[in-house]
Amino acid sequence: MKTKILSLLLLLSLVITSCDLKEDPYGFYSEDNFYKTPNDAEASLIYAYNALTFLEYSRGIFYIGEVASDNCDVKADEGYGSQQLNNWTADANNETLTYYFKYCYIAINRSNAVIENVANSSFDVTVKNRLLGEAYFLRAFNYFNLARVYGLVPIQKNMVKTISQASPSMAKNLDEVYNFINSDLRMAESLLEVKRSVGRADKVAAQALLAKSYLTIASSKESGVAKYVDMNKDVQKMYDSAAYYSGKVLHDQAEYSLDPQLTHIYNVDAPDGPEHIFIMSMDRTGQNEGNYSKIAMMFQPWVDGTPYYIKNPDGSLTYTTNGWEVFKTTAAFYNSFDATDKRRTELLVTKVYSATGALVGSMGDKFSYAFTRKYVDAQFVGQKSSAKPYLIRFSEVALIYAEAVGPTSEGYQWLQQIRSRAGLGDIAPGLSAADFRKKVVQERAWELAFEGQRLYDLRRKAMVTTADPRAAAAGITEAQAAFYPIPQMEIDLNPNLNQ
Amino acid sequence: MRLYQKHQINCEYPKRKFSKYAAVLLLWLLPMIYASAQSIDVKGTVKTIDDQPLPGATVLIKGTTTGTTTATDGQFTLKAKTGEILLVSYLGFISQEVPVSNSKLSIVLIQETQSIEGVVVIGYGSVRKSDITGSVGTVKVKNLQSIPANSIDGLLQGRAAGLQVINSSQDPGAGSVVQIRGGSSLRGSNSPLLVVDGFPLGDAGNLKQINPADIASIEVLKDASASAIYGSRGANGVIIVTTIRAKEGVTKINVKQQTTLSRFNSKFNLWRDPILMAQLTNEDRTNANLPPLYNGTTNSSGVYYPSIQELSDGTWPYYTEWDKIVFRNTPISTNTSLNISSANNKTSYNLGVNYYDEKGVYIKDDYKKGIVKLDIDQKVFDNFKIRTSNNFSKGYRNYNGGLSYGRNPIYPVYNPDGTYYLSSATDYYHPIAITDNVTNKNNSIDFLSSWLFDWQIAKSLNIKSQVNYKYGNSIGDAYYPKKYTEAGDFNNGAAQINNWMGQNLVSETYLTFDRTFKDIHKVTAMVGQSYEYSMNRSSNLYSYDFVNEATENQNMGSGNPEKNIHDNGFYKSKLLSFLGRINYSLKDKYLFTATLRADGSSKFGANNKWAQFPSAALAWKAQNENFIKNLNIFDELKFRLSYGISGNQGISPYQTLSRYGVEKYYDNGKWSTAIGPGYVVGSEGDDGRFKIWGGIPNANLKWETTAQKDLGVDMGFYDNRLRLIFDVYQKHTSDLLRERLLSLSSGYNRMWVNDGEIDNKGFEITVDGDIIHEKDFDFSASLIYSRNRNQIVSLGNAVTSGLSTDFMTGMKYEFWGTSLSQFRQTPNILAIGQPVNVFYGYKVDGIIQTEAEGLAAGLTGAMAKPGEFKYVDLNDDGQITDKDRTVIGNPNPDFIMSLSLNTKYKNFDLEVFLNAVVGNDILYQNQWGQPNTSPLRWTPDNLTNDYPSLRQDRSYYLSDWFVKDGSFLRIQNVNLGYNFNTAKVKWAKNFRLYFNASDLYTFTKFKGYDPEVGSDGIYWGGYPRLSKWTFGLDLTF
Repeated sequence: MKTKILSLLLLLSLVITSCDLKEDPYGFYSEDNFYKTPNDAEASLIYAYNALTFLEYSRGIFYIGEVASDNCDVKADEGYGSQQLNNWTADANNETLTYYFKYCYIAINRSNAVIENVANSSFDVTVKNRLLGEAYFLRAFNYFNLARVYGLVPIQKNMVKTISQASPSMAKNLDEVYNFINSDLRMAESLLEVKRSVGRADKVAAQALLAKSYLTIASSKESGVAKYVDMNKDVQKMYDSAAYYSGKVLHDQAEYSLDPQLTHIYNVDAPDGPEHIFIMSMDRTGQNEGNYSKIAMMFQPWVDGTPYYIKNPDGSLTYTTNGWEVFKTTAAFYNSFDATDKRRTELLVTKVYSATGALVGSMGDKFSYAFTRKYVDAQFVGQKSSAKPYLIRFSEVALIYAEAVGPTSEGYQWLQQIRSRAGLGDIAPGLSAADFRKKVVQERAWELAFEGQRLYDLRRKAMVTTADPRAAAAGITEAQAAFYPIPQMEIDLNPNLNQ
Repeated sequence: MRLYQKHQINCEYPKRKFSKYAAVLLLWLLPMIYASAQSIDVKGTVKTIDDQPLPGATVLIKGTTTGTTTATDGQFTLKAKTGEILLVSYLGFISQEVPVSNSKLSIVLIQETQSIEGVVVIGYGSVRKSDITGSVGTVKVKNLQSIPANSIDGLLQGRAAGLQVINSSQDPGAGSVVQIRGGSSLRGSNSPLLVVDGFPLGDAGNLKQINPADIASIEVLKDASASAIYGSRGANGVIIVTTIRAKEGVTKINVKQQTTLSRFNSKFNLWRDPILMAQLTNEDRTNANLPPLYNGTTNSSGVYYPSIQELSDGTWPYYTEWDKIVFRNTPISTNTSLNISSANNKTSYNLGVNYYDEKGVYIKDDYKKGIVKLDIDQKVFDNFKIRTSNNFSKGYRNYNGGLSYGRNPIYPVYNPDGTYYLSSATDYYHPIAITDNVTNKNNSIDFLSSWLFDWQIAKSLNIKSQVNYKYGNSIGDAYYPKKYTEAGDFNNGAAQINNWMGQNLVSETYLTFDRTFKDIHKVTAMVGQSYEYSMNRSSNLYSYDFVNEATENQNMGSGNPEKNIHDNGFYKSKLLSFLGRINYSLKDKYLFTATLRADGSSKFGANNKWAQFPSAALAWKAQNENFIKNLNIFDELKFRLSYGISGNQGISPYQTLSRYGVEKYYDNGKWSTAIGPGYVVGSEGDDGRFKIWGGIPNANLKWETTAQKDLGVDMGFYDNRLRLIFDVYQKHTSDLLRERLLSLSSGYNRMWVNDGEIDNKGFEITVDGDIIHEKDFDFSASLIYSRNRNQIVSLGNAVTSGLSTDFMTGMKYEFWGTSLSQFRQTPNILAIGQPVNVFYGYKVDGIIQTEAEGLAAGLTGAMAKPGEFKYVDLNDDGQITDKDRTVIGNPNPDFIMSLSLNTKYKNFDLEVFLNAVVGNDILYQNQWGQPNTSPLRWTPDNLTNDYPSLRQDRSYYLSDWFVKDGSFLRIQNVNLGYNFNTAKVKWAKNFRLYFNASDLYTFTKFKGYDPEVGSDGIYWGGYPRLSKWTFGLDLTF
């Protein structure tokens, strides 16, 4: 009897003891249960795209690309290091620069995750190529942004799975950075098809970005920009490569083209318009900021607090709302436009109206600056809008091509197409290559205004201190203006920087 | 079960039956045989310590087989010779020897578990109280049971040395913060483990499942020798609760009733003079160059503010004292228990029902709870027992707290047409509108079941196996209507259902060997194993945008389907343990205890699944040494020394694993689910706009380790009528669970690591005195003093921990806890060399009287003007910057102390219980701008140095001006009882009436409503402390 009780007790304890302590994830995904199917990989690829939509990144596009240029000033009490950026006093602790850096690497890590897991998968080769191609593109896109903002940066080629991988080494020189970018992009270009999908990249996007990358190298080295001058690259060859890849965009595909109507480009509900080779994807039906955007709020002024209307070229009215007037167009930039330039008359707003068309306020009385209507969303919900950063447009590729090929007939022709659309006349023929390229860069300022491009044009043409009076006032040299410092937090926490 | 029954019938039962009858027969026969001998009639009664007659007790003449048993009234008669000794015994009670005498004997038998030389329940066993080697505090439970409470935890305040209990919330059913010997974890729990009848339930704080009246004893295990047997959950100490079981041979029906009236024990600080309020508000704005508010116009938010003229001449006729509307005048709560218990020598049961109805002080803020319990103990064989406890409870909470009692008194409650008066379209704070229209309630069910199998294998060998199960379930319902609430207005009606369910299964088996060799070597050894599985899951459903609100959240499907949100969670963990303990006692003088527990937890990282927690203790009962005995001073003099290591699990399930995030991406015109490495673990920056990313695994992550030393002395004097316990301890906690920063280029921001150290040291004194002990009059007192010093030793690598540096001292620190928007700063910091949670900020040296004084102090602009705070330029650089900040206060008390005075006169008994917390600082964040302080403002006519001017646009720095002494002494409890003499009342065995008053009065310099705030020292306002007046009845049939 006793032995039976004993055996019962032992049995009881054994049944209960026979458990192992391994923990399996429940209710969340992890490296243990993910990347099993192409759908997993697809979800992880758009996870990489989604990194760009966080406000640290999407607003960084403007805080850095516009505020630190001659296009915009920033509201006097705006934080996040924007005053430093505006005044060219940004240091390694600048909040915006720290967070932008961080998000580039979040996107890179997410891209690396796709590359690593898809490359080793047995998925269908077409699916595999597309997934890999887009991931290579995105990785390059972020390294390109890092290179333009910070110059030399640590290169992380693998997905970070453990702490031992968390401290990538610094690139030795810009060649290493750009070789990595360009090789990723060439890979993407060869893997991808021409296939538009809003918010995603395809073959054309890879060609456009390659062209942009080569052009950046070419013009920077040509202009004697610090660190670029040391690059082991031939300027002309770089221009040729830029021309080659931008030429492919202009000539070898039919999906993207110049949009004949300027305001249509900036219809926030037409992100699939002919110009949009690569555009961030946001929609006002989203739940969190990033899924929807508040970019409209950043550009639009506060007028009396009641929603107002702006007038379209055809005389109709478009509803919009009071903003925070964070990004304020400088008077000099507004005045630099030709008075008949449609990009001034149609895209810069100086008068706002009531629903009945009565004038409510105009620049100089109710608000202080001409604001862009590139981010106006008539269907905004509260502060939620579908306005999204324009990342690569067809017109930009046309201008890249013109700049790369220089004052050739084709160069003139593409530059002229952009100008004609804006209602401007011909530029003088027979310009030298340098003068022609200057014209193109000036055209870029008008055409790509408020799209987060201007700072990088100033930098690669070594004209920050001459173009932006605030840079001049800060007394910095062109070499100092060429790059922002690596964030202090990265210097403190990454032992492999060796800077 | 069938197995046992079969054997019971076939072999065991007849054997036992025989022996029982034989014994009874013998007992009855023997007196007859010896009846003729020369002897006297000895008469007497045998009773229990609580004055219950004990029928069936054996009374035997020592050295003979002559004897008898007591009758139903506990009486016995027996012939014996003078000089003979009577041996009185009863199962489960300690036997007594009484010399035969002519007078009627009154013999009191003491239950084994309640004996003076009692047994103390420790983890996985019990020891004689005098044999304890560790530091174990015993709570006198009887004193607590007259105080109505949802759970026992809150009542433990001041009842054991080293135990700190904070009852900062007075909401119905609210729990308490319980700590033993200071906090030793930053990210993990600081609450002790609560063990009820051998069932480890988890963190102490709200033991709502157990009716406090059902608790028989509470032990507090403080040092490592006592708590290390609980291994990775022992570092915060352990509270062991034992519930009442039926007593053999007695059938009892007990009724308890408590009726409680609550009243605020201090006055509200509210505007009772609306004109003064309006004047000061206008002054506040005018000084900030803003137009006055009370000027007879509608402001930009659409609120009409009458002018001061309108207020004073009666044009604006409204005046409302909102506190009288929002609060119940005297909420009456009740607590009713009915308990039936009965036992014979084979079976005992205990059936209890409890209904607890607590009315909050806010209108319709209610809590109700019912408990049904059934304990059955069955002796299956003489040497095999089954003991079961089953406890079912159901709770209901209607939330209506936090109503705005400080609402502007110039608002009426209703419009003339009977609708609610709302100050504007976005007035979401009308207390009556909220009370009438918002639904927010919770229903919960808890079930505890525990089965103990106890087999005495041999005389000195016992095996116990206990299986415990806990189930908890709660369902929250909420609906916020389109009108009157922000959530409802924004979403066109907002409905919620929140489901939660949790289960715990604990199975423990341990073998105990207990034997005394040659009368001098007493050995108790225990080995065992334990397995615990716990899980909880939750689901939350949100629906918005309702066409018709009639069904509230009853039909979530009637909301707009595009706006539905669901989320859910699931956590499970397993803990597998092996444990052992050896107690060795030599000549009842030298005691040695060693324990070891190995814990394997699924929560620990893959590389650190198993942890070992050893402890050892020595004790010396010096009173048993002849040279001490000869001093004739000490009845007890015991020295204890212990050292051991215990742990704190801290980690949540899955925290060591890689974790991917889930987001939405608007992919080519439709929302798609995006999944990948890294997920949001927190946020920072303004309104938390910047996300913090985690999800990188750490396979090395493990428990926090606490090594504790304890030296204690137990002393007893004057026949043990004066007892003194003194303990000094030192706790060193290492491997603190923290988050380290990762390089930005990793794609992550934070990762969990074990990094950091905290020290706690202190001492505790308990003095118990039975000062007067006479026939009709008893007086005893008990004083408890605890002092703990807490210090952060390390917060890991300053860089990877992201620590800041104090400019003046170089002290490394990080901000910690809640940020206060008023100061745009987190007030608490963790700083190396400082206690946890000290306040960090500026110093203020009075108020600036002239602008020159302000400028000289290093202030500029509006901050240098007369009437402003004169911040101190601590670093002497001529300006006030954040480098002038320093440690400005410590919310940890210097010591806590309590005094319990007990007296008994005839049938009356009285307890007065005082509790004091001394030396802690409170951040009185809202002391300024209140009705009691605004009128004292600085003005050119009132050049005060105590209060600044009123200026609405002032930016407030967090300064020592807001830091106040939080010391208090509270008359915590007064209890007066009357015990009826039941000897004359046939129908009752025990009848007691009592009156209890808790939180009667608080002595403090603190000017807020109540100084009992959370451990971060931040005062949030709330409402005054409630005094509770209870009338109680305790009747046993």
